[in-house]
Amino acid sequence: MNIFKLLSALAEADPAVYERPSVRRTVLSSLGRKAVAALPLAFGAMLPQAYGRNLRTIQDVLTLALTLEHLENEFYLQALAQPASFFPTGTRPAIELIQQHEAQHVAFLTTVIRSSGAEVPAKPNFDFTGSKNGATAAVFPTVFQNFDDFLKVAQTLEDAGVRAYKGQLGFLSTDNALLQAALRIHAVEARHASHIRSMRRSRGAAVKSWISESDASITVPGKTEVVYAGENSQVQTLPSGLPVPFSTLPIGSGANILKAVAEAFDEPVTAEVATDLVSLFVY
Amino acid sequence: MSKNLQPSGDDAGFDAPLYVPIKRRSFFMYAGATAGATALILSGCGDDEVEPGNPNTVNVGSGSVGVLNYAYALEQLEAGFYTALRTGTYYTGLAAGSAEKQILDDLYYHEVIHREFFKAALTRDAATSMIKSNLEPDFSGIDFNVRLSAAGAARMGVLNAAKAFEDLGVAAYNGAGRFLATDNAGLNYLVAAGKIVSVEARHAALIRDLISEGSFVDSDVVRIATDGLEISKTPAEVAAVANTFLKEGSKLNVSGLV
Repeated sequence: MNIFKLLSALAEADPAVYERPSVRRTVLSSLGRKAVAALPLAFGAMLPQAYGRNLRTIQDVLTLALTLEHLENEFYLQALAQPASFFPTGTRPAIELIQQHEAQHVAFLTTVIRSSGAEVPAKPNFDFTGSKNGATAAVFPTVFQNFDDFLKVAQTLEDAGVRAYKGQLGFLSTDNALLQAALRIHAVEARHASHIRSMRRSRGAAVKSWISESDASITVPGKTEVVYAGENSQVQTLPSGLPVPFSTLPIGSGANILKAVAEAFDEPVTAEVATDLVSLFVY
Repeated sequence: MSKNLQPSGDDAGFDAPLYVPIKRRSFFMYAGATAGATALILSGCGDDEVEPGNPNTVNVGSGSVGVLNYAYALEQLEAGFYTALRTGTYYTGLAAGSAEKQILDDLYYHEVIHREFFKAALTRDAATSMIKSNLEPDFSGIDFNVRLSAAGAARMGVLNAAKAFEDLGVAAYNGAGRFLATDNAGLNYLVAAGKIVSVEARHAALIRDLISEGSFVDSDVVRIATDGLEISKTPAEVAAVANTFLKEGSKLNVSGLV
């Protein structure tokens, strides 16, 4: 790998996120190796169980991120290739805008990976009906015929993307440039998720712009439950392990507060969960 | 204690045992291999609450504690805003069960909850370096009686201000993650900040869409012409905006977060 090429490519890609090379040089040199030194041993032990003890490299993180962006980009591209009648009046511009971001994220991550000297993983073959190109029964047979079904899958992918990026932040913590870039992509995915949810709400679905236990479920049993599993946690703990006692806040009845607590925090998912979801659409 | 930021009773029940600070030494037991170095850095924070040259500012400090204080200050501001709007005639005039009332109620809950998260975190983990919990807001630039400001109006409407606060929050968290330590506590708080920032981004997108449908990712918040990344702001850039909503004596000094 060529560290210096990566450094300069990062600077080129976004000078604003690239300001303090000295603190990062040692970290970048561990790109592609198990990042044992980059994470304190206590990390796995202290974080919620979901984090497990796996030690991922920065390259693993970038590869997962690129795969997720390919998934989203290809999903919207295929939607935009449908006949104009697929899009109800006024809905197409937002989908075009979102697709444009996903394509930009693909390009950004590709540049970062290529510049590190690592191999850029090939774009998988995607089948968004979930039929594995006809090899098995479709999970979303009308994803590109029924606009509401399309939005359900879009919401699933966007919410999963937000959770997946969040789950990888800790593995980037020693590389400020990449950490900040990941945070910035993560926030854009959250804006997308919010808008897709708002679109669904305006079409009559029971759904908030943030993940809420009052949302009507859109998960498919045995297929996409992982996307929302563990999301509505009513407990947030401090590093010391103690839960924050939100239930005593006098801002509504107890049940309402706990519901709001669950909404107020988006929970991470592991790379394994994200990969499981991606595999549903890959053949 | 500021009425706006701390509606009476908000603190009820926030007492033992969580709010009893643990001993400094035991906190650093959690900090993993870098505990020693971190302790040296952190122990310097409390002595320097106020910048010598400007005794009227609130210095958030540096490192992980600095980020927690910074986030706590911004969440105090946001929670204070959503609390204050509840007595303005725009909010009180909303029909029960209307979509915007539901949204503003949810945002009020979420932001108070975020504020209390950081209050609990600081009280537990860094009590001696914690900023005050009663930052005094200055909302004189906001007209709580109108939904949106008219063209050329001197004051912002409720949704204009909500948009400003939510976008600022997202940009702030994204720009501050880098200042968290890489010890165990810092990693935990990085995840916590990540859990919160995406909800702020969801808020921001919704408020923007309420103001102008489809503006959830306009070019003032996302680099739509280049790499599709959210525009982040440094603590200094954020404080310059936040301080316009804070009174003298509550304005933030973020010089430790560089």
